[in-house]
Amino acid sequence: MIGNYLIGLREGLEAALIVSILLAYLVKTERTHLSRHVWTGVGLAVALSLAVGAVLTFGTRGLTFEAQEIIGGTLSILAVGLVTWMIFWMATNARHLKGELHSKMDKAAEAGVGALVVVAFLAVAREGIETALFLWAAVRSTGSGTTPLLGALLGIATAVALGYLIYKGALRLNLGTFFTWTGAALIIVAAGVLAYGIHDLQEAGVLPGLNTLAFDVSDTIAPGTWYATLLKGTINFTPAMSALSAIGWLAYVSIVMTLFILKVRTPKPARTAPVKEYAA
Amino acid sequence: MKYLFVAGAAVLVLAGCTSNPDSTEDATPVAVTSSDSACEVMPTQAPAGTVVFSVQNTGGQATEFYLLRDNDEVVAEVENIGPGVARDLVVDVEAGDYVTSCKPGMTGDGIRGDFSVVDQ
Repeated sequence: MIGNYLIGLREGLEAALIVSILLAYLVKTERTHLSRHVWTGVGLAVALSLAVGAVLTFGTRGLTFEAQEIIGGTLSILAVGLVTWMIFWMATNARHLKGELHSKMDKAAEAGVGALVVVAFLAVAREGIETALFLWAAVRSTGSGTTPLLGALLGIATAVALGYLIYKGALRLNLGTFFTWTGAALIIVAAGVLAYGIHDLQEAGVLPGLNTLAFDVSDTIAPGTWYATLLKGTINFTPAMSALSAIGWLAYVSIVMTLFILKVRTPKPARTAPVKEYAA
Repeated sequence: MKYLFVAGAAVLVLAGCTSNPDSTEDATPVAVTSSDSACEVMPTQAPAGTVVFSVQNTGGQATEFYLLRDNDEVVAEVENIGPGVARDLVVDVEAGDYVTSCKPGMTGDGIRGDFSVVDQ
């Protein structure tokens, strides 16, 4: 029960986090009417993942390991690109909030509609196929008991509930704080996704160096525990990280975080939110 | 919306192209039972081609199953096998010596065993 619960929680958490921040952003910037595009992306990703997962589980075709890793890795890196774009899009739009004509603001937002759908889609689809394969495997195992399926579904439900709490919490922040902190949080999340994507491509043999580890703290942070699950689910922290993944993570965080801080810091008398130091 | 369809189509095409058309028809089934303390693989030999490892987790914690080459290179793996769940790992293998490994608790080198693939 617990084992399946933790897997469901871990697989669902990151998507819940990204989608919550997107939705909170739209409410904060009074574009709630665009929320349905986010839900379109989420819905399509869930439907597609479940369908592909079902075909692979119950159909006559299986997906080879390499293919699954290449899909996972590619979607991850695409997701990183889009989330990065979204962070800067959000920051730019935040600067237009005051003193700009509404029509101008809406135009900028409309241009982002297609991208909103795609970001939401990728956030969910990235781990969606793996999660669907895991869920359908649990369904297939119901002959010998429904506990695994129940555990998995409760885990996913917990991830959604946590996403809702983050959404509610984010709404309470003032605008300046909201943009700085959600932006910084998304950068850390995206860096984790990048590291994960690199690792997937290493497993598929597309990139080298799978067994050259940067560090291995599996003894301290055992992968099956609840805290390892939360760390993996939110920031994709892996107790044993390959050197290439670690380099990708560091490079991404240092470059993007610097650009982001510069962007948020640019003098803007109307807003007074101080830029603090961010900790992961 | 058009971005969405492009993305959706890309995923479908990607999934379609890379799926394994001749996988299960003349595939060799191998039963793997992974408990918290043992990893039972039956049989431990298969002809070159597609092999389907059906990994049943009979233990109390989540497990993973790996197929490795002698030099520890990962040939294939399946993760997220929760307690009481069975998952399949489909893999195309060429002749050679391999190592199977179950990782209950998802940590360490796992419980290993030899696996050989021979030319038919």
